[in-house]
Amino acid sequence: MTSWLFAIDHKRVGILYMLSALLFFLAGGMEAMVMRAQLAAPNLRLVTPETYNQMFTMHGTTMIFLVAMPVLTGFGVYLVPLMIGANEAALPRLGALSFWLQLFGGVLLYFSFATGAAPDAGWFSYAPLSEKAFSPGAGLDYWALALLMIAGGSIGSAINLIVTIASGRAPGMTMRLVPLFVWMTLVTSIMIVFALPALAASLVVLLSDRWQYARFFDPSQGGAPLLWQHYFWIFGHPEVYIVVLPAFGMISEIIPVFSRKPIFGYPFVATSTVAIAFLSYGVWVHHMFAVALGRNFLAVFAAASMLIAVPTGTKIFSWIATMWGGAIRFTTAMLFAVAFLLEFTIGGLSGVAFATVPVDWQVTDTYFVVAHIHYVLFGGTVFALLAGVHYWFPKFSGRLLDEKLGRWSFWVIVIGFNTAVFVQHFLGLMGMTRRIYTYPDLPWFGTLNLISTIGAAILVFGILLFCVNIAMSLFFGAKAGDDPWNAWTLEWATPSPPLLQNFAQIPEVRSRRPLWDLKHPEAPDWMQV
Amino acid sequence: MMRDRAQLGMAMFLIAEAVFFFLLILAFSYFRAIPATAPTGLFFTALLLASSFSMWRATAGSRLWLWVTIALGAAFLSGQAGFFGTTFFTLAAVHGMHVVAGLVALALVPASALRTMALYWYFFTAVWLVVFVIASQA
Repeated sequence: MTSWLFAIDHKRVGILYMLSALLFFLAGGMEAMVMRAQLAAPNLRLVTPETYNQMFTMHGTTMIFLVAMPVLTGFGVYLVPLMIGANEAALPRLGALSFWLQLFGGVLLYFSFATGAAPDAGWFSYAPLSEKAFSPGAGLDYWALALLMIAGGSIGSAINLIVTIASGRAPGMTMRLVPLFVWMTLVTSIMIVFALPALAASLVVLLSDRWQYARFFDPSQGGAPLLWQHYFWIFGHPEVYIVVLPAFGMISEIIPVFSRKPIFGYPFVATSTVAIAFLSYGVWVHHMFAVALGRNFLAVFAAASMLIAVPTGTKIFSWIATMWGGAIRFTTAMLFAVAFLLEFTIGGLSGVAFATVPVDWQVTDTYFVVAHIHYVLFGGTVFALLAGVHYWFPKFSGRLLDEKLGRWSFWVIVIGFNTAVFVQHFLGLMGMTRRIYTYPDLPWFGTLNLISTIGAAILVFGILLFCVNIAMSLFFGAKAGDDPWNAWTLEWATPSPPLLQNFAQIPEVRSRRPLWDLKHPEAPDWMQV
Repeated sequence: MMRDRAQLGMAMFLIAEAVFFFLLILAFSYFRAIPATAPTGLFFTALLLASSFSMWRATAGSRLWLWVTIALGAAFLSGQAGFFGTTFFTLAAVHGMHVVAGLVALALVPASALRTMALYWYFFTAVWLVVFVIASQA
């Protein structure tokens, strides 16, 4: 027990990140179910409106800051040193500190429930609603302080990953040869270093208003609520890519291995990631199209937002081209990866629709937005994560996940997720606003919402199957061996689970598939022209 | 090698801090519609600037210059107490907390980490100069 409390080894810290994320994932899922139950039929009064506001605020904040970011960080912290042939992270104590900041930030946020004052101003807490005058309770203070801690933890782990990738690569592993997951983790970490301070600055200014009687967001005193929107989304839009790029990295590792082909267009996948990172800092205003900012201003941000579809589409085509003509093995991991391609593309397409200003004006703050972000963050990030868990669990634990149960959970999750969220597109187009507590008995509203709630219940069942699979396989799963998937990257050259010292001998790297080279000395990649 | 890692990590941290202070200072400038209480601390600003000089001397290995740095930093902080309750306080307090953290670190870190800490110290001297100049315009 204490060996985990004081762990600084990157593998243990990584596991701690993932476990804490799983815990908060279940909490955030329960909050979602409270909302879906409340919305199951018109004019229901299952919970109070106040509770409902707390539920959507905590659900959004939890899923972004306590689930998506830490679980991706956990994968990065665990896998990056193994993939680059390093024995440890560059700054191990900083890595451990970052995790505990992250965890206690989450604990602080949830402690607000115990005080009876959970935050209730939405996950982006727009001023002036978040000001003392309109949110006098302590909920917003818990929210801001918890996010400050989490921002600090995220920046710490990002610094650790950047320095590890910069200084820890095995001899011969140039940046042209690192696995794509490492590339994407590096780009994500740099984005965290540039974006999370914007969140911290917004929070400090907000706390200053709330505690110090400063008036940064008070228009009657020369402040401007618009400042909050700009600052929050200067953080908030890069954040969207921060929680999706590492997922792209996982897909870029999994699809080649299960297609038995190297990734198609490695340089394009890597450089398009950098392009996304740059563009992501020039699109934040598309969250604010409904604010009257001037036509030219909107045109620039609309164009930049549409431009992001180009590097993202490049990746989708690279993954499809990798599968094309490959000897595809449909393991559970590959099923989730292929489903990711479809689900994420739906989210991407509705995203391009939003970049069109008049469309945004029509459907902003409706369930169309809710559907869009869930296709991106669940259909994208979570599906890639589920693929990643099925792919790397044998390395983490030394045991294979059960394929039969895995397939069951896959189909239940796919059916549940799409049933729950796809109909929300229609609800949004019909004018159902997001965050609404209840709704009148308008034509189709009740039916579509009931379908959505039933889908959410199916999804919960699928997630439970997945959790059961994890728990059962941890104890009864078949032994995995070092390299169950016949993969090519260096983490599979270590025992499962790896020893404290990852590599008995640091391998020399001469190609993008160092393990292939080791297994095929007669035809290594670096001999091919 | 280890020192390079620490310095690279510190450089990344300071990039994050630069973004953070850039936005705080921007918010402050934007908000200046109300006249802020202008800081009068030219003397204390000079102390902080001097502490960066002594920090630079300390990286050559002198313990004495290190303690001079800590003393100058503490003296600078004492001059900051007067800003309490002003709109300027947000900036001064956030900067001051970084100086406090820096003082604690300077007193505790081993000599091998002094060059890394020096980066930190120069950075927060520079941040203060920017804050001071901008706030003086108010």
